[in-house]
Amino acid sequence: MTRRTRFILLFIVLLLAATTLVVSAQTPDESTLIIAQSVDVGALEPALVGSRAESNIFNHLYGTLFEISDSGTLDPYLATSYTISEDGTEWTFTLNEGLTCHDGEALTADDVVYSFQRAADPANAFTGNTAGFVFPSVGYVDARVDGDLEATIITDRAQSEPLRLGLLSEVYIHCQDYYSSITLEEAADSPVGSGPYRFVEWVRDDYVLIEKVPDYTLLPAGFDQIYWRVIPEASTRVAELIAGNVDIIANVPPDQVAAVENSGTAAVQAVSGTRRMYVGFQFGEAFADAPGYDAIQNTDVRVAMQYAVDVATICTTLLGTECDRATSMVNPPNNNTALAPYPFDPVEAERLLDEAGFPRGDNGVRFEITLQGPRGRYLNDANVVQAIGQYLTDVGVQTTVEILDWSSDYLPRVREKNIGPLFFLGSGGSTWSALYDMADLSAPDAGTNYTNWLNEEWFTLWDSTAGLDSEAERVVVDEMLEVFYNDPPWLLLYFQPDFYGVSNRIDWQARRDEQIVVYSATVK
Amino acid sequence: MGSYIARRLLQSIVVLLGVTLLSFLTLHLAGDPTYLYVSERASEQEIIETRQKLGFDRPLPVQYFDFLGRLVQGDLGTSLRARQPALELVLERLPATLELTFFAMIFSTILALPIGIISATRRGTPLDGGIMLFAMIGQSIPGFWLGIMLILSVGLGLRWLPISGHIPVLQPALDGDFSTAISNIPNAFLHLILPGITVGVFSLARNARLVRSSMLEVLSQDYIVTARAKGLSEWRVIIRHAFRNALLPVVTILGLEFGFLLSGVVVAETVFSWPGVGRLVFNAINQRDIPLVQAAVVLFSLLFIMLNLIVDLLYAQLDPRIRLR
Amino acid sequence: MAQKIEQNTTVITTPQVAKITRNNAALELRRARRSLLKARWPILAIIILSVMFFLALFGPQIAPKDPNRQTLILRLQAPMTPNAEGVVDFPLGTDALGRDVLSRVIYGARISLFVGMASVVIGGFIGTTAGIVSGYLGGRVDDIIMRLADIQLAFPFILLTIMVLVVLGTGVLNLIVVLGVSQWVTYARIARAQTIAQREREYVEAARSAGARDWHIMALTILPNILAPLIVIASFNVASVILAEASLSFLGLGVPPTVPTWGGILAESRDQLLGGSWWLAVFPGMAIMLTVLSLNILGDWLRDFLDPRLRRG
Repeated sequence: MTRRTRFILLFIVLLLAATTLVVSAQTPDESTLIIAQSVDVGALEPALVGSRAESNIFNHLYGTLFEISDSGTLDPYLATSYTISEDGTEWTFTLNEGLTCHDGEALTADDVVYSFQRAADPANAFTGNTAGFVFPSVGYVDARVDGDLEATIITDRAQSEPLRLGLLSEVYIHCQDYYSSITLEEAADSPVGSGPYRFVEWVRDDYVLIEKVPDYTLLPAGFDQIYWRVIPEASTRVAELIAGNVDIIANVPPDQVAAVENSGTAAVQAVSGTRRMYVGFQFGEAFADAPGYDAIQNTDVRVAMQYAVDVATICTTLLGTECDRATSMVNPPNNNTALAPYPFDPVEAERLLDEAGFPRGDNGVRFEITLQGPRGRYLNDANVVQAIGQYLTDVGVQTTVEILDWSSDYLPRVREKNIGPLFFLGSGGSTWSALYDMADLSAPDAGTNYTNWLNEEWFTLWDSTAGLDSEAERVVVDEMLEVFYNDPPWLLLYFQPDFYGVSNRIDWQARRDEQIVVYSATVK
Repeated sequence: MGSYIARRLLQSIVVLLGVTLLSFLTLHLAGDPTYLYVSERASEQEIIETRQKLGFDRPLPVQYFDFLGRLVQGDLGTSLRARQPALELVLERLPATLELTFFAMIFSTILALPIGIISATRRGTPLDGGIMLFAMIGQSIPGFWLGIMLILSVGLGLRWLPISGHIPVLQPALDGDFSTAISNIPNAFLHLILPGITVGVFSLARNARLVRSSMLEVLSQDYIVTARAKGLSEWRVIIRHAFRNALLPVVTILGLEFGFLLSGVVVAETVFSWPGVGRLVFNAINQRDIPLVQAAVVLFSLLFIMLNLIVDLLYAQLDPRIRLR
Repeated sequence: MAQKIEQNTTVITTPQVAKITRNNAALELRRARRSLLKARWPILAIIILSVMFFLALFGPQIAPKDPNRQTLILRLQAPMTPNAEGVVDFPLGTDALGRDVLSRVIYGARISLFVGMASVVIGGFIGTTAGIVSGYLGGRVDDIIMRLADIQLAFPFILLTIMVLVVLGTGVLNLIVVLGVSQWVTYARIARAQTIAQREREYVEAARSAGARDWHIMALTILPNILAPLIVIASFNVASVILAEASLSFLGLGVPPTVPTWGGILAESRDQLLGGSWWLAVFPGMAIMLTVLSLNILGDWLRDFLDPRLRRG
């Protein structure tokens, strides 16, 4: 070994040592939690929150009137209680005393009313969850200050109590003085909230950093700092988790679950999520000329097709877990427990299709149809859609699968209900209300009635639910779900399981409703 | 020289106009993107109002000239999704992309020179064969694949280098915070290696082969033969005479290289969670955030045009045979 | 990735190149054979490419199974796994949906090579036409075409491609068109330079004085004389288009997953890597690498062969 080679060797060793040092210095410390999501927030504007990745962060920054708990109960949060007017249209919330926003401003009824009115103000053109979903769903009209701590939300209709309470609890409450003093542009990257964590820094497409608000009493706060990193590529997220640089990741690909489990540094928590996955049957007349459209207008055909798909095998193979087949769009435990899931029985499917007047032709085909599905939106979506296509083809329903990009192609089609005749879709559900889950089909022309389903019985019953007490509501709900089961507008699949990768160094429990809530997470 | 630059700049304006028109038309080909900016349950009326608010109800020529009018004033509009000035958003992310692109560019150029020269001077030996085979393989691996493999092997398996993420240097330096910038350098460098290789390996391989073939060509020229005959040492011949000429083809493509590396950047930024413009634009295109896409396109075209102007001037410096017309 | 090919122009655009094809085809063929035998590697490249083309042409006859037939319970089987009767059903294993990897790779050759070649034909046609017209007519037309070329070059290729595929939707046809159109400049610049060199030559003058029309001269007199360097570029371009297709598949903008392509299979395999299903990546990856490698070796040889300055002994 010459002196020069020795020198080079030494240099390499030093370099390696240096890199190891720097890399290990990166791992999170006791007071810091690092979460990786696949997409960044679009804006830090509470009234623009639309995606799950956004609401996960905002739930820590902003308080809400009530809080939807892990188990599906609605608990007091910024508000302690509420009263409902005689006709059910006005809800008056009483706030806790001594609340403040993160800039120290006192939080009173004025601010609650302001939060509602600001989100509703057409001049702001907000398109987030509050203005786009909550307000139309509750029939929001206006808000009014009824006292220092009393704020009233005015709507145009009576509604199931837990449904409305849950919906109103999705509105983020912020302070008037701050938000009325800044422009919309300024508001979009400097949020001042009312929750257990406050905003520190946002580096776009890199991370959002939030820190604990000292002496916050309404909710616990474990870690001092939380980084919400953005890591778009699933393999990279998993690699960072296993390497110990990230504590929580969502959407672990099913085929990488074993790698995480075997890593010794992290484990996977699988929860049965609340998102309802289904194949929609398109009733809209825009598709009248599409092959297979006529066939699926026949209720018997739609029932027969329920028997053709082996949902259990799809779950165990493509989703990497057992799952319960849905009997309706309602999440357990709020579903109609008297209904049994359609079993996988291709022979029965073929028999029913024969009976319905669609026998196999000489080429073995009963009828042809197109199944559209997205890519990159739901757990293993493209593969699940292709598998469903294969199962349908197997019973003689010759299915052509079309996979489309989610945001640029599929979503716009869904919005315009220009999709089908068969289409694969998931719809976010709840743990706390059957009616919330059923609100997808609240009216024949509801924006979310993507199949254009027109079952009169269903919609008549829906209108009769307003103002019922919970027992009477249960009866109507069960009746409606039976209607749905027997005249299915959906090919019922499963409630999407969610896989969270969780570092062994922390104590945290994943929730069913796709929300990552980490107030109470701690170091083990 | 001065008139040459003036003429080039004038041409650049035409090019810039063409580029903006092209991207404008492409983005509007499939109708306006209003539906992405209303909620799921929006009524017909709301959609019409939103369309008006976003300005998509106007005829296309009006929208385009409005865009041009504001462009002249340096206003590239507001991002539909982020509700922030589009130009600011792009500029904010540009440093990260530039760091990655220039790292890849330097890495692929600087390494290519010795590799190509060694390969050329050892022509026909196993060393040359090995290098060229390696270069060929480097040119046939899809970037995303290389990136993921590097993450799994070097990042996760060996734990030698960070798996993903970006440590800023340029941004703090631009903000005037030099102490942060300097103290970030070592860590930033480590974070640059894997994505830098992913982006630059194709160019490295290509440049090495380019240097080699141009070296071979130069080495057979009369003046090299003369130099050798004069008894100059082999290395002296190579460094003094051949090197300068071998540099020419690499310099020629440096300008185009930038545009090419940019293609790799979109993929590498996704794989390595690198907060740069590539991902920003990719997402913006997916969300039809037209002002944001336009801002990025304008900025990139400007960069590209400037870089090529510089390259042409540099080229004239290196090769006296070339006169700028 | 149209820009990447640009490099070759600097080496090829010597006026000598065009001369060669004119002189004595038989002699050239003999020289080609000698040069091939001497270089050896190009022969291997030609063999590999022939195999790939064979697979592409006769895929349906060769492939043992329907590439889209799924058997979920047989998913992710390793290569050469025997079934209950001890017979190997899936020599190269199965993918995440239980489809036969061997058949998918064979069918993948069809689409990947087709996309590669079709887009090169499109780009080559547009570019060559524009270049010859530009170089032959000169003046205004030349100015306009060259400005268009500048615009195309200043527009980052990847942005244009993503934009078009996002707006118009993905699919084999859109992919071919956008990858094809984005490379026209390369051909246009070379064709233009070559045409300018040829324009004033005697044989062109002769054709002109014999009363031949302009388009006739361009298509029948000039084109055959400038084809050689364009063919070299085309061989490199097929390789880069195959790689581009893979990258676009990764970004979700490639061919739909129901159509097997090498790039698509490789992109899909990334979720299985940590799970240890190496065969999903290795086989399509090898197919891509061998093809691209062969095209590059062949292109290199063609260039050396056609460029007399690099010819040695």
